[in-house]
Amino acid sequence: METSDLSTATGASKSASRPRLKSSEQWIWLNAAAIGASLCALFGMLLLLFVKGSAHFWPADIAQIDYTNTFGESRQLYGRIIEVESVPIEQFLESGRSLQGAAGESATVERWLVKSGSRRLNPPDFRWVFSAQVNGTSYPKDLTVFQRMEWGDLYGMPLALSAPNEPEKVFPRTSSDSPALLMEKLQRRLEQVRETRRQIASLESGEVRRISVQLEEARSQLRFLNQTADSIPNNQLLTQRVQVLEVSIKKVSMQLRKLYENLDRGSVYVQLAQGSVAEIKLAELYSARQPNQMSTLSKASNFIANIGSFLTENPREANTEGGVFPAIFGTVLMVLLMSVMVAPLGVITAIYLHEYAKPGVLVSVIRIAINNLAGVPSIVFGVFGLGFFVYFLGGNIDQLFFPEKLPSPTFGTPGLLWASLTLALLTLPVVIVSTEEGLTRVPRSMREGGLALGATKAETLFSIVLPAVRPAILTGVILAIARAAGEVAPLMLVGVVKLAPALAVDSIFPYLHLDRKFMHLGFHIYDVGFQSPNIEAARPLVYATALVLVGLIVGLNLAAITLRNRLEHIYRDVET
Amino acid sequence: MFYSSKAKRRGWIDLLTRWVVTIGGGSVFLAIATIFAFLVWVVAPIFFPASIEKGATLAVAERTTLYVGSNENGEIATRISADGIIEFYDRALGRPTASFDLNFQIANIFRVYPTPNTYALLDEEGRLNFISADHEAIFVDGQREVVSQAKFSFNASAIDVEASSVIDLHWFDQTLVVAFANADQVTLHRYSQVKRGSSLPAPEVAVIKTSIQGTWLSLGPRNEWLFVLDDEGGIEILDIANLQQPKRSYLGRVTQVGQGIAAVAALQGRHSLIVASEDRSLKQFSVLKADSGTSLNELREFSLHQRVRKLIPEPSRKGFVAVDEFGDIHLFFTTSQRNIAKLQANVAIDAPMSVTPRSDGLIIGANPESIVSYEIWNPHPEISFGSLWEKVWYEGYEEPTLSWQSSSADDDFEAKFSLVPLTLGTLKAAFYALMLAVPLGVMGAIYTAYFMAPAMRNWVKPSLETMAALPTVVLGFVGGLWLAPIVENNLTSVLSAFIVLPICVAAFGFAIASLSSRATTRIDGWHALAIIPILFAALAIADAASPFVENYLFSGDTKRWLRTNLGLDYDQRNAIVVAMMMGFAVVPTIFAIAEDAVYSVPAHLIRGSLALGATRWQTLTNVVILTASPGIFSAIIIGIGRAVGETMIVLMATGNTPLTDFNIFEGMRTFAANVAIELPESELDSSHYRILFLTALLLFVFTFLLNTVAEVIRQRLRSRFGNL
Repeated sequence: METSDLSTATGASKSASRPRLKSSEQWIWLNAAAIGASLCALFGMLLLLFVKGSAHFWPADIAQIDYTNTFGESRQLYGRIIEVESVPIEQFLESGRSLQGAAGESATVERWLVKSGSRRLNPPDFRWVFSAQVNGTSYPKDLTVFQRMEWGDLYGMPLALSAPNEPEKVFPRTSSDSPALLMEKLQRRLEQVRETRRQIASLESGEVRRISVQLEEARSQLRFLNQTADSIPNNQLLTQRVQVLEVSIKKVSMQLRKLYENLDRGSVYVQLAQGSVAEIKLAELYSARQPNQMSTLSKASNFIANIGSFLTENPREANTEGGVFPAIFGTVLMVLLMSVMVAPLGVITAIYLHEYAKPGVLVSVIRIAINNLAGVPSIVFGVFGLGFFVYFLGGNIDQLFFPEKLPSPTFGTPGLLWASLTLALLTLPVVIVSTEEGLTRVPRSMREGGLALGATKAETLFSIVLPAVRPAILTGVILAIARAAGEVAPLMLVGVVKLAPALAVDSIFPYLHLDRKFMHLGFHIYDVGFQSPNIEAARPLVYATALVLVGLIVGLNLAAITLRNRLEHIYRDVET
Repeated sequence: MFYSSKAKRRGWIDLLTRWVVTIGGGSVFLAIATIFAFLVWVVAPIFFPASIEKGATLAVAERTTLYVGSNENGEIATRISADGIIEFYDRALGRPTASFDLNFQIANIFRVYPTPNTYALLDEEGRLNFISADHEAIFVDGQREVVSQAKFSFNASAIDVEASSVIDLHWFDQTLVVAFANADQVTLHRYSQVKRGSSLPAPEVAVIKTSIQGTWLSLGPRNEWLFVLDDEGGIEILDIANLQQPKRSYLGRVTQVGQGIAAVAALQGRHSLIVASEDRSLKQFSVLKADSGTSLNELREFSLHQRVRKLIPEPSRKGFVAVDEFGDIHLFFTTSQRNIAKLQANVAIDAPMSVTPRSDGLIIGANPESIVSYEIWNPHPEISFGSLWEKVWYEGYEEPTLSWQSSSADDDFEAKFSLVPLTLGTLKAAFYALMLAVPLGVMGAIYTAYFMAPAMRNWVKPSLETMAALPTVVLGFVGGLWLAPIVENNLTSVLSAFIVLPICVAAFGFAIASLSSRATTRIDGWHALAIIPILFAALAIADAASPFVENYLFSGDTKRWLRTNLGLDYDQRNAIVVAMMMGFAVVPTIFAIAEDAVYSVPAHLIRGSLALGATRWQTLTNVVILTASPGIFSAIIIGIGRAVGETMIVLMATGNTPLTDFNIFEGMRTFAANVAIELPESELDSSHYRILFLTALLLFVFTFLLNTVAEVIRQRLRSRFGNL
């Protein structure tokens, strides 16, 4: 209501005092520039993340670049041009090259950053090429991107396929098949490899893990009993159990070995940029595709498929390739656990402050405390979480309940439970403030009506007030989730790891493992972007991860804002 | 009946709800109190005074004790006597656990530095024999027992030291060096590829003439140099890195002329010496190796009124125990220059004594039939007000410095815990971020609340809320990997943009104000959108102008110009990048509160002012901002709190080097980033751990105070508006 008052007031002033208004208009522009710049920064950031992040999924064309190197030799390069920049001509000349007419008088030359991939076979995997040296760029149709399980992408022309265990000399290095047929055969075999790989993965994460966990448990109990010199019969039973488990683990490993043998489906021979031929085992190959042949439509479907596998697959190569599924899973699970803890406590506190507490010193102290809690740096929560939850609570829990595993800690080490508790503490004020705001909006008349009909205070609360503030509570919880999903600093201290050996939920009792460490999207960004050995190669993946995280958080926030706006409208009529 | 039982149940539920809600509400307060209390509880021990007190006395068989010590965890006491008997005692139970007879008489005992339990025993024929003690914990029927053994270290290899009793031994990296002095001659034996359990190989031998009559020797770190001291305070440092060509690299004094040495000891790591002179001074000297030559610096002097008779270094850190002429025990620590504790013990000065490996006890072979223990509680000697906040002269440094370096690969590393670089780094990051965020946030808030068209405001406010919610890890990543190289490659453009941008906007404002009023009326309330092309144009101008600026102002190369003319170094990840990214994070925080404050200025005040003929701008500056100023002020305060505690942006967008300057072209390390980097690796309850908690506590208290101030201001503002 104030808005309308204000705007009519300013509107009136405009017509009344135009001449004098002009003299100060420029300061208004300066203020407007501040908010304009902020908006530009925000949308620019979102745009940057969107463009750079989605580029990771787009199957870009691979160029064949013919150029003359510093020594005047002509060279060939397969790769993706990922950056074009102009540099001062001095830099070009300094690097020992001579300029041959082309650039002429201009003070800058164009320089391309080419991702030539093929790490370990044809180093380096990123190189700068001056456009003045390039003799020609083409996009051959058969140029193929081989995604390897290790060492990243490899660019080259497929020449031939070999069967498993075939001696090399018998095999001709070129095939009589047409390129299209060769590619088809390759894809078929790759599908078989992928299937075997899936079987291995399910066996390893299922049976093998289950048995080895049980074995580990039995062994540590045995060790503990030996130390405490407890009853002998118990001991024998355990020894037997260990033996049985050892036998079954041997069986499973036999199965595994067979599967691994199955993985060998021969090799593909690839011609690299300089004409040399490389052999890649299909077992070491993840996928092969020919983007230069793809139509825009098939590129688009490839794009979507890539997004899908990014969201659902495990990371490879120390997180720098593959998907981010465990990080998404860890983030979501941690945030859910946190919500379960923070929602009741936050709502109860808000109800206490607004409905039950008598205004006084205590209430204002609590209010100031909550307000402060919102302003305390998140890293302080992490420090508290590590010291209090992990070392103090966790250490004591281990002493009491898991003495047989000591000195290796169970809860006395950072983990899922402590991370969600820490973040619950961190996001508590968000829920409290939002719920209280909702409570303020519930008109007195509704409560009084309930009480007047003979309901107790609790009944009024449960059947009138709480249903009315449900959207506010939901808003608070969503905002808390958004905050928690983006928080990294405290998690670095209380439970996040770069690579968790197993998800925190699996088929082994008790199914939800609160003591396990987990992966997190935000930490994934920090770790891959700043701690990985080949940052340049990992960068697109980090942008993609950042896009996923920002998409999640912006989505949650927009949901919360929409919900809150709807709430504002609901009781406007009741109030007036 | 039915009715009353239902009523009872309703009553119960009502009461129960009340209790649950009250307890729940109270528990939040409890949680906050717990955070504070826990941080204080962890930090507090660094302020507790150390103590030393007399502990148990072990009754032992009567022999002439030459050496007493203990194993790593202090459970087992070791005694070596002159008649060649090595005994082990359980210190807690006070009974002997093992005894070994070497079958030769021992004249003197030397420790092999830095091993905890290898001893060189000088027999009556002037030969050094090496003995190692091993302690192993085993379980017998669930009972823990420690089995101790004494063995010859190198298969009974012995070294002839030519009747010298001035000996030092240092076993470093498989190389054992034995040094012994006879009058003005020092002999060095260097054994390479030394392994426990196999005989000593043939040594490399060097005989060096010294200018002083060496009566005390100490082999320096990595066996690179040798300290030779005489009784009169003369010192000679020999460079023995190359045994073929030993050099004298320093000759001087460690006491006043005419004052002899009362006691001397080499500190752990052997970079420095503690020297007590007959004139009651107690000083620490450290070797500084520079290209210009070796020098010996007096790092600090400890004040003690008694004459020191004996100095015993702590085996695992840079502290030492001094025994004075009255037999009183004093504890000192060098880095913090602390006189830590004192005990009137009246111990026999000549008795053998040693500090336990964990520095929690002093063991003295007081007389032939007893071993006396003194218990020391001194977990955090390296922390003092001076070592945290003042310049400290560390070992191997040219001068006193403020530096933070908490760990290193070396075992004998001197931890540097100055909080000054971290404090400055925190303030620097916050300061530059706020330089950007305060104008943007406050001015943006004023425009949005006061001038903006409601239709635009409806989406601008949610947009800025979204901005606040963007994860800082993403901002840090974009800052560190995207923005930092851009700023580095376009430094001049970025610098000129900061000046060109406001000028362009103001110029545009003047220009448009003199245009026809119709144009201004149409865009009224939408200035913020209309200005955006101008912003981009201004950026383009700044970029286009930058080569000229670089040529005429910075003589062609901005970075070189900064370095040569202003002495400013340039890092790729620097304070500019941090300021921009952290500004991005702080703007929405400031905006939200400031906008709220400006927006809730009562409408009748504004209308009154306008009715009296003031322009919109006059009303803004004289009425609106004035009324909302407490709110704007509290917005800035909360912005400070946010900037000070921000972790991920600083962690990723700077190099995290602890620096002590305000150079905008270099990075910094802040409290928060430092905690995030170091806390996961710090050992539970160590001094390092507690100092990191101290910095967290400082952050907590600082932001708590800021927020309380801001909250109080806002409360007062609210009540004032209520009155209006």
